[in-house]
Amino acid sequence: MKVSSSVDTVSLATPPRPTRRRPANGSRRLKDFAVRWGALLAIGLVWELAARLADNLFFPPPSRIIERFFELWLSGPPTTFFLTESVATNIMPSLARLLGGWAAAVVFGVLLGVAIGRSKVVGDYVEPIIHFVRAIPPPALIPVFFILLGFGNEMRVTLIAFAVIWPVVLNTIDGVRSVEQLHLDTGRVFEFDWRKRFFGIVLPSASPKIFAGMRVALSVAIIMMVISEMVGRPDGIGNIILGAQRTYRMDDMWAGILLLGILGYVLNAILSAVESRITRWHRGSREGVS
Amino acid sequence: MSIQATATDLLTIEGLGHVYEGTEPFEAIGKLDFTVPEGAFVSIVGPSGCGKTTMLRCLSGLMKPTRGEVRLEGEPVTGVPRDLALVFQDYSRSLFPWRTVAGNIAYVLPRDLPKAERAARVQESLDAVGLGEAGAKYPWQLSGGMQQRVAIARALAYRPAILLMDEPFASVDAQTRAELEDLMLAVREQFGMTILFVTHDIDESVYLADRVLVLSKSPSTIVESLDVDLPRPRDQVSTRELDDFVHLRSHIARLIRDQSMKGRPAA
Repeated sequence: MKVSSSVDTVSLATPPRPTRRRPANGSRRLKDFAVRWGALLAIGLVWELAARLADNLFFPPPSRIIERFFELWLSGPPTTFFLTESVATNIMPSLARLLGGWAAAVVFGVLLGVAIGRSKVVGDYVEPIIHFVRAIPPPALIPVFFILLGFGNEMRVTLIAFAVIWPVVLNTIDGVRSVEQLHLDTGRVFEFDWRKRFFGIVLPSASPKIFAGMRVALSVAIIMMVISEMVGRPDGIGNIILGAQRTYRMDDMWAGILLLGILGYVLNAILSAVESRITRWHRGSREGVS
Repeated sequence: MSIQATATDLLTIEGLGHVYEGTEPFEAIGKLDFTVPEGAFVSIVGPSGCGKTTMLRCLSGLMKPTRGEVRLEGEPVTGVPRDLALVFQDYSRSLFPWRTVAGNIAYVLPRDLPKAERAARVQESLDAVGLGEAGAKYPWQLSGGMQQRVAIARALAYRPAILLMDEPFASVDAQTRAELEDLMLAVREQFGMTILFVTHDIDESVYLADRVLVLSKSPSTIVESLDVDLPRPRDQVSTRELDDFVHLRSHIARLIRDQSMKGRPAA
């Protein structure tokens, strides 16, 4: 009793830091890994068991889905690193439009956000319009993009870019508006030209917020990619899923869904890694290492 | 004017005044006239709320004063002049946390500077402030005193003719403060700079300077300009024991106390 109360006092005096910040040692990391993947494995096993017992056409067991996943995309010749032709004809175009639309949205979104955030005139005129336009659910604009851009790639990339530009714009506005005045004054003292001011102060200051916007944008981009592929010219992962469902190829449908999950997970992991590398200073300066 | 009697004036302030507009206009600076001779170390000291920060912003060209003129090397100051650098009190928000210590310094150097010379200048200024080994660290990995050293090194590498300092040591502990004061005297010798040093610490103003300007409360004017004839090099212990030092600091302390009492209802 005595011991536990003294521990309480200590933890009150210095609030415990979130576990994420603590440097993970070997056994700890192993435990984290086991907990994370163990839970997934357990759910998979329960699902497998339930699916086998139910024996329902629409819900095949995960083992069958994974088997089909390999058949569809990873059973090619060694010369193509075991990737099948479907990877080139379906997955690659999907990935290209996903990343193309997202990248375009990031570039234009950051430029627009900086213009709005740093210029009062531009902000006053454009910001209300932005808040109106972003309130429109992007799928509602599919017919408009059909008319303007046809049924192919242009329509899809534009739709993705249009849908995901807003989180980037809004986060950039927020980021560039919170640039430290003293950093800008420092730039003036040392006679920074606009390039140094933009790339040396404004962009790095806003980068943590911009990355947050980019992450939201990426997850929305995957959603929009699938939606855009369920209409118009038939190709892409979205089309595989829809086509399989319409022809009662449930294994294919679930394999496509699994593929989307993996894709989203991997892309997000890559972006997070890049983010934590570039904005390392942000975490460091907040924790006040000294 | 006994010390720099023959020196030319580097910075000239004539009839400087500033009023903050608004629903209740506030006159921060009344009328300031003074000069900073080339090579001199001039301290400005005053009671709290004497418009020191406003004055420095006007002198450095960050802000346009309502009245009067500031001239650096004979040229009227409109923007921030190339030959002037300013060290802020708040080093933690003046250094760029996304750059390393060396990166912070290198970034203020002209773009056309050859790479080798850039590296040499960074190293030279880091060595001058005693942080020769810290170039690869980030500012937030350093203590407050060390961060202010980095800010000083950055200004040194920029090679200004005049260095303005806005209460640079106000937020470090006493021990570090004494170290940084001596550091300033040393780098001033090494780089041959003119320094205008604003502080609210009377001892510090006397210890460092060739001349101390005492400001009044806002709207600020110069109450008195005092030449400091203490021998150099100065020493944290023996200089502060000298009769001249003690007399000067007491005289300034009285001036400032009188200023602080002004306009205050009698107790």
